[in-house]
Amino acid sequence: MALPLGYNVRSLLLRRWTNAFSAGGIALVVAATMLLAALVGGLQHILVAAGEADNLVIMRKGATNDGSSQVPRDAALAIRAMAGIARGANGQPLASAEIVNQPFMRTPAGGRENVLVRGVEPVAFDVHRSVRLVRGRIMQPKLGEIVVGADASRRYGAPLGSTIHFGRRDWKVVGIFDSGGTAFDSEIWADVSDVQDDTRRDGYSGMRITVAPGADGRTLIRRIESDGRFTLQAKPELAYYGEQAETASSLYVLVLTLAVIMATGATFGALNTMYAAVANRTAEIGTLRALGFGRGAILLSFLTESLILSMVGMIAGVALAALAMFAVNTLLSGVAFSMMTFSVATVLLRPSAGGALMGLAFALAIGIFGGIGPAWRAAHLRVTDALRRA
Amino acid sequence: MTYGRLILRNLTRHPLRTLLTTLSIGLSIFLVCAVLTLPAALDAVFERAASNQRISVHHKAGLTYWLPGSFVRKVHAIPGVSGINQFSWFGGIYDEPKNQFPNFAVDPETVGQVWPDYNIAPDALERFRRIRNGALVGAELMAQFGWRVGQLITLRGTVFPVDLTFEIVGVMPSGGGIRMLWFNRTYLEEAMEPKGGMKNVGMIWMRAERPELVDGIIKQVDALFRNSEAEVAAETEKAFFATFLDSLRGLMRVILIVGFLVVGAVVLIAANTSAMGVRERIPEIAILKSIGFRRGPILAALLAESMLQGFAGGLLGAGGAYAILEALRLAGKTGNTAFLGPLGGFRMSPIVAAEGLAIAVVVGIVAGLVPAWNGARINVVDAMRRLF
Repeated sequence: MALPLGYNVRSLLLRRWTNAFSAGGIALVVAATMLLAALVGGLQHILVAAGEADNLVIMRKGATNDGSSQVPRDAALAIRAMAGIARGANGQPLASAEIVNQPFMRTPAGGRENVLVRGVEPVAFDVHRSVRLVRGRIMQPKLGEIVVGADASRRYGAPLGSTIHFGRRDWKVVGIFDSGGTAFDSEIWADVSDVQDDTRRDGYSGMRITVAPGADGRTLIRRIESDGRFTLQAKPELAYYGEQAETASSLYVLVLTLAVIMATGATFGALNTMYAAVANRTAEIGTLRALGFGRGAILLSFLTESLILSMVGMIAGVALAALAMFAVNTLLSGVAFSMMTFSVATVLLRPSAGGALMGLAFALAIGIFGGIGPAWRAAHLRVTDALRRA
Repeated sequence: MTYGRLILRNLTRHPLRTLLTTLSIGLSIFLVCAVLTLPAALDAVFERAASNQRISVHHKAGLTYWLPGSFVRKVHAIPGVSGINQFSWFGGIYDEPKNQFPNFAVDPETVGQVWPDYNIAPDALERFRRIRNGALVGAELMAQFGWRVGQLITLRGTVFPVDLTFEIVGVMPSGGGIRMLWFNRTYLEEAMEPKGGMKNVGMIWMRAERPELVDGIIKQVDALFRNSEAEVAAETEKAFFATFLDSLRGLMRVILIVGFLVVGAVVLIAANTSAMGVRERIPEIAILKSIGFRRGPILAALLAESMLQGFAGGLLGAGGAYAILEALRLAGKTGNTAFLGPLGGFRMSPIVAAEGLAIAVVVGIVAGLVPAWNGARINVVDAMRRLF
């Protein structure tokens, strides 16, 4: 016969401070794990979500990102004329030649960082479908007009209508765009010819093209890469951003290592509490045994108690993590991250099912490993010895 | 029985409990040390590599803006400078795209004058001057790819439309985390000749003869190019690197928050154990008090107990972290440690170890404070009544 759950709950409440502290320790471990996982998840998200399934990235062969790639003007022209590229509403090919620049930008706090400026043509807004203009209008060429990503606008204090300085000149903010939290939101978009003028560079960094519905992306990639006139490579945008996000994925190993160490420490704490609980309730355990509850029932009961403790800790931990994430995301407006390309992107902490599962797994592990030893000891007390203490 | 023995006896009363608590503190301090080491190690890398006597001159608008090549000649007019060199980012890729490391075109003539602190062997510098396609490579890069001096390697250009093959002529000794490859600028210029040439430079490096001349040189450089076709920003190498660290501040903040959570968790765990210990000992504390021990010494003994536990945990955690990072570093010197990435170059400073130990002692004290206070204040009559 099993012991009723109410027995465990009452026992826990009887020593409520001790148990609250144990649960608190577990809660902090769960919160720390979830926070770290949310950081890595956010980093992955801004990259992975930036890609479109039917878009291709074209760069110079060997380049790892469009910040360090060079595509000459004639190559861009040749690609634009290729078959298999989708067409926009007005019939122009959805092929966006872009030049990426990373000028210094002053932060309101007085710091200096690299911002990613993307020189584009209007077609870019059709190729990058996640990017939506939320205020103002698209920039005109040759006027030094820019459209600023929502995060960049916040970070550098550049609202609609303001003028900011970077590169060799002042720029007027004529629009604000939002891409739903991808890396683009930390970028500034200007007209391609303005960026070419400003950097005194000819040509482009890379191209983004949308494959026409029904056309085969792989055929297009082969055609681009086998063109003897240029040394270009093409890959699906999802694969490109997946590679960029690989660094973030490898961070998961780090998070996991940290979490395992923290959880081990918390397990030791839970062990202490549970061993003390068993020692304090020796007489009680003897009585239960004398009443006819078997070893199995005692073992299960103490293990259950430890698990209840860890679950309470986990729930508190999730709440704490949610609070911390909210604080970081709203009060600090995210975490500034220097990306592979050296320009700064803002990462919002992103609660994920994976992070929550990781927290749950660690809480369960703490409950089980912190409870099994004490429960075993409780189950194997000699009834006569235990009763003698009564 | 002395107080010392009393404390020790109390600690060994529940050996398993003491061990678990100490290990728990130890693990947390280990984590905190690891977390604190990251920013400290980054600082240290820059501290070693950067010099206050070296001045970086780059375009005011950013590092992606080229300076006219003629600027290198012009800064020669400024007095108090012991060497002038230049960097042009080549952005070459070795073999696989993921093998990224900085590679720069430099002037081989003045490498020794501008970077005397890099301790490059004189014969390597001599070969670098003589061999047109020679390259100097950081020791850590050499180890990562298993390169040897004399080997030929090809870097595929991504920014420049040329691929270049270099002969490794010398090593830049490790110590500053120098993961760079330098090669002769003339070699790149010649390769670019049929493709429109190359007249610009990315950045100019100047070394002041004496540290006190630095500020004056910076002012003169800024003034020299004010209102020119490309305004420059001159700053010490330290200031230049510091801006790279700035953009990591947000990340550091999150890591510190996590560190605080870990410390908070261990305080709760240790306080719990401490409270359990005091609760179980209420009768004997009552007896101690009834035979004349005063509150102060009892409080001190209980506090010392939890502090000692914190100290032991701190020694374990900080010492363990130090030993592991040191082992990683030594492994980084000998074997193939590409998988370690930057970890191989990290070194935990004794300051971080001391901080970890201090945190552990504070954790011990904070955790013991309330239980010890309550323990020392128990009412003898009540406690005795419960006992008998």
